[in-house]
Amino acid sequence: MITAYLLWLYRSSTSHAPNWTKYLTCIISAMEKASHLSVIVDLSPTQWHLSAQTSNQYPLSIETFLSQLLAFLNAHIASKHENSLVVFGAFPGKSVLLYSSTELLSDDVPSLDANSYLPFKLVDSTVVQRIMNEFDAIGELDEEPSCALVGAVTKALCYINRITHPSSTTAGVAEDPSIVHDPRILILSVSPDLSSSYIPIMNAIFSAQKLKVTIDVCKVYGPDTVFLQQAAHLTNGSYIYLERRDALLQYLIMSFLSPTSIRKILAVPKQDKIDFRAACFCHKNIVDIGFVCSVCLSIFCQPLPVCST
Amino acid sequence: MPVQSLQNTDVIVPQHTPHPLLPFLQSQSQTTLTRLYQRPSSCLSVFRLLGPIERQLIMNLLWLESALSVATISAWVLPEGKDAYDSALAVMTGLHIAQNSAVKLALNSTFKSSLRQAITGGGSTGSFGVPTDKDGKRQSANIENLDAYALERWETILHYMVSSGQGQNPTKPSQGVLYLLQRSGLMNNAHGPALQITSSGFQFLLHSPHDQLWNLLLQYLHMAEERQMDLVEVLSFLFMLSTMDLGREYSTEPLSETQKAMLEDLRDYGLVWQRKTSSKRFSPTRLATTLTSSSPPLPSSHSTGGSHTADGTGAVALSSGAAQQGFIVLETNYRIYAYTDNPLQTAVLNLFITMKYRFPNLVVGMLTRESVRKALGNGISADQIISYLTTHAHPQMRKNNPLLPVTVQDQIRLWELERNRLKSAEGYLYKDFASQADYEYVLAYAKQLDVVLWENAGKRCFFGTLEGHANVRGFIERRTGSV
Repeated sequence: MITAYLLWLYRSSTSHAPNWTKYLTCIISAMEKASHLSVIVDLSPTQWHLSAQTSNQYPLSIETFLSQLLAFLNAHIASKHENSLVVFGAFPGKSVLLYSSTELLSDDVPSLDANSYLPFKLVDSTVVQRIMNEFDAIGELDEEPSCALVGAVTKALCYINRITHPSSTTAGVAEDPSIVHDPRILILSVSPDLSSSYIPIMNAIFSAQKLKVTIDVCKVYGPDTVFLQQAAHLTNGSYIYLERRDALLQYLIMSFLSPTSIRKILAVPKQDKIDFRAACFCHKNIVDIGFVCSVCLSIFCQPLPVCST
Repeated sequence: MPVQSLQNTDVIVPQHTPHPLLPFLQSQSQTTLTRLYQRPSSCLSVFRLLGPIERQLIMNLLWLESALSVATISAWVLPEGKDAYDSALAVMTGLHIAQNSAVKLALNSTFKSSLRQAITGGGSTGSFGVPTDKDGKRQSANIENLDAYALERWETILHYMVSSGQGQNPTKPSQGVLYLLQRSGLMNNAHGPALQITSSGFQFLLHSPHDQLWNLLLQYLHMAEERQMDLVEVLSFLFMLSTMDLGREYSTEPLSETQKAMLEDLRDYGLVWQRKTSSKRFSPTRLATTLTSSSPPLPSSHSTGGSHTADGTGAVALSSGAAQQGFIVLETNYRIYAYTDNPLQTAVLNLFITMKYRFPNLVVGMLTRESVRKALGNGISADQIISYLTTHAHPQMRKNNPLLPVTVQDQIRLWELERNRLKSAEGYLYKDFASQADYEYVLAYAKQLDVVLWENAGKRCFFGTLEGHANVRGFIERRTGSV
């Protein structure tokens, strides 16, 4: 027997990856991209006053709420260096941009200290300072105008539209890391439904669907809102009614921190029943049975011989 | 048909790869890691290096005081995500971030309290670096200067590597860098006294700057272990740098001796800038502050290339996404136009193309069989060439789908396959069997052991692997003995 080196033809073997591994890889590569979060905070002074009353089972004051919210915002920025964040406040009668990670709003950058991470500190101080400014600006009014929630949603959508389509010249750049992957809007609502805003809310939902934006809703205080339930359902988001209000932060992190791609692996709660009622166009009431114009699809609470629109 | 098989290999998409630092961290002892986790900035950086599922799981557990039962957590996991979830848990336990018993899951208490502190701020660990007050007399370094400094340092290293094999004499990086390059196996002095680039060095050149940086830092960490440096201090200093703000000065006062020694090394790599070696303050550069992110660690190379890019054709490259430094146009006729005047980029391209013409801001070359085979001979793989061309493709190229011409991609892969036609194996040839029955009997036994590499029934001989020889030989001896 002799020792020898044998050479033979080398054939490369090919393997066929099964389809589902490909699907998972797609999800995983999507998860690696930066995500964008727009947070809309309902800051109606009356509702927050009611929410802090000790007669509630779990009283929640605005201070506690804000400190937990800031921890949540920091958690979002902590997850990835490129994650972008925008915070809008819905105040009575106006909506205000409170913080944006892409542009510096105030000139006074907080002084560095060795114990905190600068971006976190920037969010915390900017948001709190701006909310305080706005609250100070609200005068003693006899009647509080309704909260400009729709205005804030619309602004958030405009913002997302701007960052997802940076400019026409780079439209062909598919792998530009600055383009955010799955933008989300989180609405933290305390006010009840405003039936007069039915049409603007619906329009906002349709534009969100078109932009592929997920709308999440957390109902922090007050009764369920019909329109926001529909908003979450139609954009594939999740609507959560906060039952244990002392555990706000845990609710926020477990349900709203994960981008949509992770939700395919770690599930988030969705509402099991949705109120699909609409508001009539004539009196802006939420109706159980409506009458719809066969031409323009307007909804009325009583039959009309001639459509008014 | 080789072409058929090529198209199939395209289907295999790159899997999510964990960060190169994580295996290193996993190899460390629990006490080392727990000491590392005492600093909030380290926790934040480690957290960012983890995969997305790990991050979400950690966040879910972060604010819970008690351990959670495993059954509750797995109720969140959708059936198709089971594998991803299991591997995420394995990573977390490997890093000692989560304590995973059979029934309960909880975060390491040190990690939990430090990450909480990082997110809420406060405490007195000073782990995010102590900033210095504004100095009225001297102006602190602005961001452009820092970028230029980092770029200059980094390109010096790379340029030294790429030109070492061509008999040129570029500026030498410092002794520490040379030693690191040699230790990491990217260069060696096998042929004479001068350092020569190795095949892994060639591969290194085609990686993204981010990968290159971590590659070197990982080697640095291995070296730190041998130099008896405290690994926790080395790591936490790196992590601290990654959470610092670009364009600010920090004080060296609170640093330990080990970390002060590190400053010198990191200055050579371009991660840290200091006015003088004895200076009491330092500024991190973009290389350092983007360590835990995926944003580009170096500013566009065009900016330092000279004045030519500002006008004419160079303006095309600059106008759209200057950060995205695409400059290569590849045509279906294998011709490459590279809008660059950066000597480093030209030198890297020269690894696998044949240069035709050079203009102040444009290099024209061809991908030829010879040039690609030269690159393959240097240890560069076809995939590396293709991925380099893809990542540095000109914005105009990005309108194409697929981005690179398929003919060129396939041809590069075919050239690689050409080299792989032969494969060698060591073993034994069994021949001169007395009868066909003997031959078949032994062959059947060898096949059972799965050691047959080649057989020829006509010549009554077969070839077995080295490992199987003892068994086959024993079998034949037993048989001849018994007969």
